[in-house]
Amino acid sequence: MDESAGNFDLATAEPLAQAADEPADLALVAAACAGDEAAFEQLFERHRQRVARVAGRFFQRRDQVEEVIQESFTKAYFALNDYSGERGSSFAAWISRIAINVCYDELRRMRRRPTFAISDITDEEATWLNVRLTQEGAGSDIEAEAIARDLASKLLARLSADDRLVLTLLDAEGLSVAEIAEQTGWSVPKVKVRAHRARRALRSVLRKFL
Amino acid sequence: MFKRKDRRVLDERLDQMGREMVRAAGMSEEQAAAAASSPFLYARVRARIAAERGRQAETNAPLSAMLAIAWRAIPAMTLAAAAAASMFWYASVRSMEPVALSDETFFDARRAGMERVVFADTSGLSRDDVLGTLVSQEEQRPSQR
Repeated sequence: MDESAGNFDLATAEPLAQAADEPADLALVAAACAGDEAAFEQLFERHRQRVARVAGRFFQRRDQVEEVIQESFTKAYFALNDYSGERGSSFAAWISRIAINVCYDELRRMRRRPTFAISDITDEEATWLNVRLTQEGAGSDIEAEAIARDLASKLLARLSADDRLVLTLLDAEGLSVAEIAEQTGWSVPKVKVRAHRARRALRSVLRKFL
Repeated sequence: MFKRKDRRVLDERLDQMGREMVRAAGMSEEQAAAAASSPFLYARVRARIAAERGRQAETNAPLSAMLAIAWRAIPAMTLAAAAAASMFWYASVRSMEPVALSDETFFDARRAGMERVVFADTSGLSRDDVLGTLVSQEEQRPSQR
């Protein structure tokens, strides 16, 4: 796992802060299925930070992250009956999987309505990228981070939703290939092939700035 | 060989840069936590759930209307079918019963104009009467020979 991410293992994730006297997720799910709105609210309070962190790996804008949180919990609400705790999957892992799927859908939507074009990259950003690519150990400061953030969105917008999903889960979320396969429902070979193609695509995008 | 090595080094550098870009494309933990703590977030989730429920109800409305019609129509149609079947059965049973002989059967009074008038006032002949008439006619024939 990536240390800088300081995150959790999605596959076996446990609730961040669950006091001993609080009911377990499974009990809350059962209560929510029986129509207890307060139980669902408790699940929301318990897991919204987790969903926000998943969404935060993919998107920079706050409204996008809020959108993912809302959509994820709405989908979870209607799928509560399908959730089965007996299969060994925790509610945290389940809701993370839903959040990843919602992020994927959002990436595909963004791809259909592209916000950025490669021409949107400013001269300053292009120069910065060129320096970073040609000079080893080029310094990183706050300004550079800000440039990198804007630039990253523009560059990654060039990738397909599948490529971006795989790269984000691999590099930002720090998941293994097997974990990505479990989270996305794809087969392990498909994830490997996707990762390989995604790296090649990103390389070709970056090579233009050399 | 040097070219290949240079290419590999370049690819590694591009991959490294790509990883940095992917990490930079997201938001920090603090920003994500702030987004999760937005006011009225749960209220918005509830509103979205209510809207989705309404949409589902609208989608299912024609189907449920058809089911409601079928729910009422099926017993009525069953009842009508049962009545028709029982009438059919009753009619077939009646047609199998032996029909009593009448004057009209023997003399076909419906087509015979005069006979109809003649027999109009007479009482109906019984089977024995007809049989007796035939036998007496048969008896008279040898005597005539």
